[in-house]
Amino acid sequence: MSVLETPRIYFSGQLAWDPIVTNNYSQYYDEATSETVFPTVINKVAAFRKEAIDAVVGGNWNPQGTHRSNFFETEISGANLGAGDIQSDPFIGSPAIFMGMLVDLEPYGTFTSQLFFDAMSFGIAGGYQIAAPRNSRITSRYINFNRCKFGARAGIASVVWQTCFAKADGLRIDAFDSPVLQALKKSLVADDVLGLTVQFNTYRTIYYNDPVNKTPDLIPSAKALTAKLNGGGWQPNPARSMVVGVIGLWRVGEPVNEPCDRTLITGPDDPPSAPTVSSLHARLTGDSITLALSNTISEDGLDLVKHDFDELTVVAIDPTTNKPVTLASFGYDKYDTAAYLKSSGIVTLPVDPKIATMAATADLQLRNASGQVLQAEAALRALPLTPNLYMNEGDTQNVQFQVYDRGVAAGAGIPVTICVMSADAGTVESTFVLTTAADGTMSFEVQGTQGSITPYIALPGPDPTQPTQGLDPQVNTFAYVRVLSADADIAKLPPTFENVYCRVLANWNAMAPCMDNWLNLGDEAQVRSFGPLIKKLTNEAAFEHFRYMPVTRDLTPGARTLLYNFLDSPPAAVSERMESAAPEEKPAHFAKLSRNMRS
Amino acid sequence: MIRLQWKPLSTVDDAWAMLQTAIGVEFGTLPPYLYAMLSIPPGENVAAAGRIKSVLLQEMIHMCLACNILNALGGDPVLTPPVYPGPLPGDIGPPGGKPLIIHLLPFSKDAMAQGMNIEQPEDPPDFPIVTMLEAAPPSAVTIGQFYTALDQFLATLPASAWIPNRNQIDDSQFFAGQLFPINGYADAHQAISDIVSEGEGTPNSPLDFQNEIAHYYRFGECFHDLVLTKADNPLGYQWGPQKLGIDWSDVYPAIPDPGTHDFSNDPPAAQAAQAACNQAYSQMVDALQQAMTGSAGQLGIAVRAMFDLRMAADVALKTKLADPSLVAGPSFLCPPPTNPGASS
Repeated sequence: MSVLETPRIYFSGQLAWDPIVTNNYSQYYDEATSETVFPTVINKVAAFRKEAIDAVVGGNWNPQGTHRSNFFETEISGANLGAGDIQSDPFIGSPAIFMGMLVDLEPYGTFTSQLFFDAMSFGIAGGYQIAAPRNSRITSRYINFNRCKFGARAGIASVVWQTCFAKADGLRIDAFDSPVLQALKKSLVADDVLGLTVQFNTYRTIYYNDPVNKTPDLIPSAKALTAKLNGGGWQPNPARSMVVGVIGLWRVGEPVNEPCDRTLITGPDDPPSAPTVSSLHARLTGDSITLALSNTISEDGLDLVKHDFDELTVVAIDPTTNKPVTLASFGYDKYDTAAYLKSSGIVTLPVDPKIATMAATADLQLRNASGQVLQAEAALRALPLTPNLYMNEGDTQNVQFQVYDRGVAAGAGIPVTICVMSADAGTVESTFVLTTAADGTMSFEVQGTQGSITPYIALPGPDPTQPTQGLDPQVNTFAYVRVLSADADIAKLPPTFENVYCRVLANWNAMAPCMDNWLNLGDEAQVRSFGPLIKKLTNEAAFEHFRYMPVTRDLTPGARTLLYNFLDSPPAAVSERMESAAPEEKPAHFAKLSRNMRS
Repeated sequence: MIRLQWKPLSTVDDAWAMLQTAIGVEFGTLPPYLYAMLSIPPGENVAAAGRIKSVLLQEMIHMCLACNILNALGGDPVLTPPVYPGPLPGDIGPPGGKPLIIHLLPFSKDAMAQGMNIEQPEDPPDFPIVTMLEAAPPSAVTIGQFYTALDQFLATLPASAWIPNRNQIDDSQFFAGQLFPINGYADAHQAISDIVSEGEGTPNSPLDFQNEIAHYYRFGECFHDLVLTKADNPLGYQWGPQKLGIDWSDVYPAIPDPGTHDFSNDPPAAQAAQAACNQAYSQMVDALQQAMTGSAGQLGIAVRAMFDLRMAADVALKTKLADPSLVAGPSFLCPPPTNPGASS
């Protein structure tokens, strides 16, 4: 099942990230109220923009981003049809084409990055091609802060991204004479195949297009950007990552947004953090095991040479003897940089069928040559079917998890402890226990009582270890819920431009200077002239679309009502620019420090 | 087909002149492509608009790369706004013929045919370069051949001819992976290969080095309203059968060559719209000129001006002229740059 079965197709290249990051900081943005935290001065938008620029050297590395994120220099790099990796298909070399909007559900944190997009394609129209419209936004999981310890800022991390495309919803494969695409197309015919899964790993993120080892080394570049920003114009500063990915089958029962195969997470021997062997997924068949090492083996430096851990071994703990039995061992040549790029970190190894039979119900471990357990299987995993859920205050929504037992949907009666975490995911605030239904799912209602961000960690099985040190994305599975304030008071305001600017548009105008490229949000006439388009882009029904506005998905119902009331109203005889108006009284937020990865 | 004058190169000054011509050609393609794209209302003819936009963006990159090469050789690029209708810089036309006169045309079959004419590769594509280098008298060559000849000359320059890190524009802010500094011949060769490949495709294939459709064929797809499709024939491709779905009537009723139109008889709103377009265009050209000659921060200012131009064009294309059935897109008129470089 999943991208670990065949046929599968590999791609590799780079990805540019251009998010606005000013809202990562509590002194500039309130993630509970979804409002910009303005300085208390007359010209609050201009002052805010200046503050955002002044904060560049301190870590606010892209105040004029767009959130757009795209593959570049990314192409099909190989495939596997079940008889080993191949590099000879005519589809290989075709471009991977993707543009999405990078948005974090929790602006202050790093666990809920998402890519909103409309379509993805590999190859080109008229030629070899896989193309499909969005079925679900792409979600990140298993962020690995130990992957690239040599990097600066959040460049130390790597992340697994995943989405799926439904064959019944516009998925197109133009195979021509490509055996790889022909095989993939043929495999899609099976009734239990829903479509394709696309999973990729991003790593070695660099900032200012400047690969350096330490964050302080970025200061000269940050100062140069500050000078550009102060000089005017539009000065984005995208980061960029390396990417390896895989396209495979999406079968019935498999989750859309994260891997569901057998999962090996941090083991009992607590391996060192750097260099490190991090979590991995595995698929065991009757005579082989396929390992997804895309997010697992750390590199030693900016030259991206994989660390040599010597021989690694997959063992199964025989339940009858409680002793390890070797399934397969593999050397550095299977996971070095060349191998990693060739097959996106996916390694298939032969296994004795008898041992494979035993291992089907035994815990797997990945060990090094001295027998140290680097990663150990967590048989039960509760994966969120609603990984990043947005809702409005006053609404009730279901948060649903599917429990898997060694990569297969589990059945009834499995207890699942839900840890309700603090907004920063650092503290368990409460817990409750649910039990899976016959299909292995369980769900619970969440009521939106106020603007908030709440992580829910799901711990399947009896007597789980609670995350007392906070959420560990390498270990825990989780769902996040963001409740947008109702802002009923804003909805009731008279629909004047003054009100709509102060309470709605100024937030965007301050936080997203790139809007200047399209529209002067402080100009009533322009805003009105674009009224139909603004309504179209801010419509809740367009929430998943690439061009939804605001890109940060934090428009509250009350703010939307005021905006629409204004756009639907006749123009006022005289409108005044809001920049000259006295700002609203707003609480100051200076106490919180942004989280480590944001500074 | 654009045919550029080519003479045997013997000095770096010759290369400067040739690069300046190349910059002028790349710059000169932008307004006609932009005019065609802007004349398509938002949401209409999406496939065609996307193809034109993709070509337009790559032409911007080509211009920057050509400037990077000239800068690396010690020259100073000059961005001279072209006049439309008119020939592209250096176009001498085919033997016995006339230069191709470039017009600002709204999206139409004629506009797409013009794009094909500009980007058209020589047939056969593998023009014998050795013969070109040996030819003494001036000759007429396509854009691709022009670049190839330039590349051959640059290969002969000593390493000392290149000045690393001089006024280079990279991809730090825009065009990730496509815009890179030129610090020596290897970089210049890569840039020229990319430019030629993206414009004309690779020999015997309509695909460029990234396995995407080259410019000539993207315009061809629009012209024929058919997707260029792999086929089991000796050429390997055919037009269609899938259509692009072009509706030639889904276009603003924009006049051609607005620079030749007398707006004095048009409503004030139309005149104001033209003035706004020209102002934004002038700002863009001025900022680009500075960006290409050492003020990298000006690139962001130029891009902002480009968006201003788009906004102004959007207004202009919705503003009726004296003949209320017509509108006008941007004329692309601006005064000459105030800070010319030394390489002209």
